[in-house]
Amino acid sequence: MSLLDIDERIIKIAELADIRATPITDLKEPDESGVEVGILSGAINNTANEEVAKRMRERSKILVALGDCAVFGGVVAMRNFFKLEDALRRAYVQTESTDESGKVPKSPELAVPTKVRAVSEVVNVDIFVPGCPPEADVIFHALSELAQGRTPELKGDLLHWH
Amino acid sequence: MTVKLTINDKEVTVPVGTTVLRAAESAGITIPTLCDHPNLTPYGGCRLCVVEVKGARTLQPSCTLPASNGMVVQTDTPQTREARKFVLTLLFSERNHFCMYCQMSGGDCELQNSAYCEGMTNWPLPPNWQPYPVDASHPHMVLDHNRCILCRRCVRACGELTGNFTLGLQERGADTILVADLNVPWGESTCVSCGSCLQVCPTGAIIDRVSAYQGRQADVQQVSSICVGCSVGCGIELVVRHNTLLRIDGDWQAPVNEGLLCEVGRFMPLEDKRERLLTPLVRKDGALQAATWDEAIGHVVNKLKPLAGENGHGVAALASTRLPAEALYSFKQLFADKLGSGMVTSIEEGATTAVSGQLAQSAGQPIEGDLNMLKTADCVVALGVDLIGNHQVAGFFVKRALPNGTKLVVIDPFENALHDLADYSLRPQQGTDFDLLQAITAHIIALGLAKHEPAHLADLASYTAEEVSRITSVPAETIKVVGQLLATATRPVLVYGRSVMRGGSTKVLQAILELARTIGGLDAEHSRVLGLKGRANSSAAYQYDLDKPLSLKGQQAIYLALGDDQPGQRLAERVQNIPFKVVQACYSSPITAMADVVLPTEMWAEQAGHYLNLEGRLQQARAGLTPPENIRSHVAVFQTIATQLGFSLDDNWQPELSKRVPINLI
Repeated sequence: MSLLDIDERIIKIAELADIRATPITDLKEPDESGVEVGILSGAINNTANEEVAKRMRERSKILVALGDCAVFGGVVAMRNFFKLEDALRRAYVQTESTDESGKVPKSPELAVPTKVRAVSEVVNVDIFVPGCPPEADVIFHALSELAQGRTPELKGDLLHWH
Repeated sequence: MTVKLTINDKEVTVPVGTTVLRAAESAGITIPTLCDHPNLTPYGGCRLCVVEVKGARTLQPSCTLPASNGMVVQTDTPQTREARKFVLTLLFSERNHFCMYCQMSGGDCELQNSAYCEGMTNWPLPPNWQPYPVDASHPHMVLDHNRCILCRRCVRACGELTGNFTLGLQERGADTILVADLNVPWGESTCVSCGSCLQVCPTGAIIDRVSAYQGRQADVQQVSSICVGCSVGCGIELVVRHNTLLRIDGDWQAPVNEGLLCEVGRFMPLEDKRERLLTPLVRKDGALQAATWDEAIGHVVNKLKPLAGENGHGVAALASTRLPAEALYSFKQLFADKLGSGMVTSIEEGATTAVSGQLAQSAGQPIEGDLNMLKTADCVVALGVDLIGNHQVAGFFVKRALPNGTKLVVIDPFENALHDLADYSLRPQQGTDFDLLQAITAHIIALGLAKHEPAHLADLASYTAEEVSRITSVPAETIKVVGQLLATATRPVLVYGRSVMRGGSTKVLQAILELARTIGGLDAEHSRVLGLKGRANSSAAYQYDLDKPLSLKGQQAIYLALGDDQPGQRLAERVQNIPFKVVQACYSSPITAMADVVLPTEMWAEQAGHYLNLEGRLQQARAGLTPPENIRSHVAVFQTIATQLGFSLDDNWQPELSKRVPINLI
């Protein structure tokens, strides 16, 4: 969502880059033949996330972790300070909108929750763009540098973890 | 003596003993630091300040490295940058330093700022997920061990600056953890709630309950002012946002307290739950009812007019010594000079200030020294003063000197927390402190160690240690040892408090001054005696003659200018039967409830003005808050009343501040 904070500048990025796949386009995964840049946001908190990260790593020359969750683990990593079962019980049974009849989902088809990790704990990351969320100017700087074949450098006003 | 060294190719000359870090700072070169604090002894704990020194085998911590002649230092090289990044990497990996849920994030956290300086976009090592406890047992502060980087700033502040030694460390290495006392909940420890630890913490490990999450440093205003909690007059920074007082910090630049504050100055004002008066009130048909200012002042003027010049059966006036000098001066002019009342005084009526003032007045010279003496004293005698219970910042100066060998002698018949810290704790029978002091003086003379012989030498002859020991129950040996100690001290200080003035007598204080003279601690040029006064402007009130014992017999009206003072029940009882009562105050109290007219005024943080502290230092308080709409300043109220009575008041408050006692205005 924070990507949209860069407003009309997104058109510039689209002109510079050949966007191959995103979660909201028909193509959800990068081409098997590989792409120049892969961007991941969010922390790794289950086996499905792990798979996505590994696939992205394999197919991207440059892998970018965007946002504090991808960079550090972020707010979702607070879960790691509790037992996983306790966190699931809180989410599915004990929240204000659920009652004792709530059930922790369990199915072989579902991904298995894990400890929450930064992307770099699972695969190698080339560029980190921290921020919660990263400010529009930071996102634009990172994307436009990458789209022009350069390595973005975040320092001074462009470096915030929040 | 100076040394010359080269830092980043720049020649720097500094005094011998200066660290490389301070030398770099003096040359305008910034070296990143975390555990360093300008008011604390260098510790060398965090290793963020490492520099390359030519010829040295390894990187050196600049904060503990003394500069030496010919030293060649580089502060910013690939090697130092790599080391700093590594230090930060380890710090971030130790505990929970997730910035997105910390109130310090976004400019106030020195750890985060350091990471930004090194251009860190991520943590090369994953964090340790071990949860650490959060100690929320303290009434004012919260200690979150998860945010702690073990820099020991708080531990050093607690010991070095306040002499309290509550905070310390337990275990070693990665298991090291901050503890209060012997690992008890902070709220149950020996903590005196001075908040020095809060003020030096570089991260969100120690936060205060009121200002936490209320705004970052960049979002708030800071106003330098003066604490009006007691007569020490500490420099403070009011931290304000949206006209709300969020926090009170000690002003590191203030000459009196050098950043320190006590619970009374730092936390108490934020917890004032009294009900604010927001409109003038006038008693109509037996009940207090809201009125306009014109109505209320008109009523006061009508009642006061016929009482003008009626000394003794007219109007009595009593002011709080928390009011600024400007207000006290207008008050005195209006009631004493213009209305001619002979009963114009302050809430302290004849306390310590008045007694010491009388003595100084008769001596024709200042009899007291300054607070700085306490910081360098080698022997402190505390007479009838509990520096732990009140005037705490002065107490910190004494407590922190004790580990360095400063001797503490406590003379007080009563319970006094200082007794526990004293090298010599003397508890004379009540009413015999005069004899005890005379015996100490006599012993010094007998030893031949007197620097000045007292005028009434013969009178002292009967005060032998053995004889006085019988009256006071203080062992003769102790009297002698203390005499010897005082006579041989090079920088002794005698601090006295109000309990030596019981009954308004100057007898004990005179004995203190005699003792001081004998040990060479009091002459025309200097004094090693220090008296702790009552409230913030006690000294100014004395200079303005506001020190008479309050006598209400026959008075037809009383005007109480209380401001934000909290008057005792006794005052309410004393004024109860006076026919007409005007109360000028900020908060409702039993006294406002019985008043005929209540005039709402500015509280301390809303008013600007001057305060004369116990040393005679004139300091300016600045307003940090805008008062509510219908609130007036004390001076404005006095001016309006004066004008309507046909008088005019001047604002020449300063000359009279040294009128009675020739104090050295600092």
